[in-house]
Amino acid sequence: MPLDAPNTGHVVYDPRGIVEATAIPLGKRVADLNGLRLGILSNKKWNGNNLLRKTRAILEDEIDFAAVNFYEKESFSKNADPGLLGEIIADNDIVLTAIGD
Amino acid sequence: MARQKTVESRPVESVVSDGVDLVEWYYEKGFSDGFPVAPPTPEKIAATVDALGGDGDYVEARVPPRWGSLTREVLAINMVMAGCKPDYGPVVRAAMLALCSPAFNLHGVQATTHMASPLLVVNGPIRKKLEINAGHNVFGSGNRANATIGRAIRMILLNVGGGWPGDLDKSTLGSPAKYTYCIAENEELGYLAPYHVEKGFTEDDSTVFVMPAEPPHSVTNHVADDPEGILDSIVSAMSTIAHNNAVSAGHCAVVIGPEHAAVMAKYQWTRHDIKNYLWYQATNTFGEVAFQHRYGKVYNRSLPKWYKRDVDARIPVVPSAEHIHLFCAGGEAGRFSAFIPGWGHMASPVLRELDGKAPAGGGMVCEDGTCYL
Repeated sequence: MPLDAPNTGHVVYDPRGIVEATAIPLGKRVADLNGLRLGILSNKKWNGNNLLRKTRAILEDEIDFAAVNFYEKESFSKNADPGLLGEIIADNDIVLTAIGD
Repeated sequence: MARQKTVESRPVESVVSDGVDLVEWYYEKGFSDGFPVAPPTPEKIAATVDALGGDGDYVEARVPPRWGSLTREVLAINMVMAGCKPDYGPVVRAAMLALCSPAFNLHGVQATTHMASPLLVVNGPIRKKLEINAGHNVFGSGNRANATIGRAIRMILLNVGGGWPGDLDKSTLGSPAKYTYCIAENEELGYLAPYHVEKGFTEDDSTVFVMPAEPPHSVTNHVADDPEGILDSIVSAMSTIAHNNAVSAGHCAVVIGPEHAAVMAKYQWTRHDIKNYLWYQATNTFGEVAFQHRYGKVYNRSLPKWYKRDVDARIPVVPSAEHIHLFCAGGEAGRFSAFIPGWGHMASPVLRELDGKAPAGGGMVCEDGTCYL
């Protein structure tokens, strides 16, 4: 290109594509766990499962839950089944889950 | 609090000064897979969008886990950056539609700590039209179509899907297959029926097969002159507790090299015979998979319920012969084949005709042109 040529610029592109998202607000934190129904959702991985079992034992020593319900995902790498999520929502006040590879 | 929908707003294109080094500009923006990109031009993008059917704003898919919108224009931008010709468009698009189908679980494949990367195998006349290599060094370098079709898919998984290492891609080791992983089946040799024909398509149909996979593991056998001897070497590669199939079941692939395939053909072994032999012979004991319970009692719920849990029980590497996806590929010299472990039960490979046509032969569950295997 000649040195005195006009600077018309290069067109450059953003290859990422836009994201359309719906924000889901966080639930309110509960002040007291006593008397609540605790749901525990395991992803079925060996270490995640161990973490949940040990955490459950510690929590049950300290807190008087109305109920403790244990659930498992079909697969650690897939979303939980919508039916299972509905059951957890219906039968629990708070939920504990863990990721352990 | 009400849920609120938000849509990103930023220009797809902008202008920089003539003096800017465009290769460096794309590096600085973080839009490269690590190699220099081919800076896109309006002309090349337009040609690629035309090859995809026009309408650059048309959304082909949303790519997890970032869920970026893959419009035809964005698809074209990534293809040009990867070095693709416009004609490659229908193959890259079909592959992305297959990858984004729910059964493939691309979210999991992108985010896993495993090294899986989507393997793409192309069948049918499109292989010849696009000159996709099915011969010597089929998994290696040296061919534009194989290199850039696979690279375009990876660029889309990075840029649109957000699978950046350490961010949304949590792979511990990754693999070279995360640069490109695209081959064609060597149908011309005729030792085996083409893969897509086995699944009910015709030889005139062109298809893409995708499966989350480890890189290929070489199987050498320069001695055997019968199918059993060759397949026993592949069985040996399969029968280990190190790969994900052993501990998480799911699907795998086997690529028979032409010299080995010629032996199968000589003895009139069909795909059915080969897959069933491999499935029946490739086993571990449950005790091996469970580490003989040395670290605690293991049931392993990632494996099918019907696997016997006695430590001495022999269990298959994959749950059925149909979980072994068999291809013939490679150069005509050399007595090599390959075993390609999959990711596990967490994903299903899928097969898709380029235009989403269902197979005339039926036998598969196909939704919106994507057939679950």
